[in-house]
Amino acid sequence: MIRRNGFTDETLEWQSWLEPVKPAEASPLQLEVLDESHPQSRTSPYYLTLAHQPLMLRHRSAAYNAIMYAPGGLPRAERELGAMVVSVTNGCVYCTSVHAQRFEQLAKRSDTVEQVFDDPRTAGTTEREKAIAQFAIAVTERPDRLSAQDIAPLRAVGMSDEEIIDLLHAVAIFGWANRLMQNLGEPAEGSAA
Amino acid sequence: MPTALDTIDVIDHAAGLLPGDALHGARRVRAKVVEASQASHDALLLQPVDGLSPADRLRVAAHVCTLAGAPSLEQHYADRLADAPDCAEPSSPALPAMLAFAAKLTTDPRLGDRAAIDALKRAGLGDAAIVALAQLVAFLSYQLRVVAGLKAMRAGQEGTR
Repeated sequence: MIRRNGFTDETLEWQSWLEPVKPAEASPLQLEVLDESHPQSRTSPYYLTLAHQPLMLRHRSAAYNAIMYAPGGLPRAERELGAMVVSVTNGCVYCTSVHAQRFEQLAKRSDTVEQVFDDPRTAGTTEREKAIAQFAIAVTERPDRLSAQDIAPLRAVGMSDEEIIDLLHAVAIFGWANRLMQNLGEPAEGSAA
Repeated sequence: MPTALDTIDVIDHAAGLLPGDALHGARRVRAKVVEASQASHDALLLQPVDGLSPADRLRVAAHVCTLAGAPSLEQHYADRLADAPDCAEPSSPALPAMLAFAAKLTTDPRLGDRAAIDALKRAGLGDAAIVALAQLVAFLSYQLRVVAGLKAMRAGQEGTR
């Protein structure tokens, strides 16, 4: 278990500030989209809140699942590293906990997680991880001032266009995910899940 | 299909990518992401939502892009607004509350709190409209970052080739 600076890799709950859709009252389309989105979405206050707009959720989930889970390209642990760094930078405690766990599962180590919780600006066990973390921060904090200089360190550690696009997608979609988690509800320390 | 190699979508257009460009092709390696990004854009703007007109969504989108410093996307949403069937109709009395919510969400997501949601409810938005508005604004944070990253990649290639 890692707990630093208000972040944790322990499992948290999330509670909605809106009224989540009740599964028993959901439309067939809502149930179909929930099942496409996540295996546990029918019991998730987050997905049940987003289910108020099922077609918007459908396309969000299609993008999210393709970005974070598709085979090939950037290794999945590195996509999770990007997601975790963005979540810490945006102060999203809930997303950070989920993606710290995923990174640990995929990378089979937690040293980088401790570093990101301490200070994402200096985090990274390798030069490649450092380049990923710094790119994730730049995209998150100053999208209006990104330049070729922000891409050069990724090229220097050997990334192809396709890998950089995978990283850009992972980092950008956490700009989306964090904002929903932080503005439609809040994390809660829970016992379940 | 929207991912065909000879088409351009909103992200290509805003990033200045044309069919035949290396980055235009590299995006299509992730065809599902390209399709779902465009489909999200379309659904967020056009799906009917009680209390959230297409024109007001475009006003919110243009405002978000102004605040975030994304001029090519700002132009896209301003052009869409000029062409929207309901652009001449008065905006909703709730528009100022929507713009205030969008501004906070865009500039610093950690400013989000229950009071911001309650302000939208007091302005007359129901839960389904609030979800649609939050999805739109959060999506724009994604879209404008993808565009910014592709522009930076393109700038690097032009500098070295």
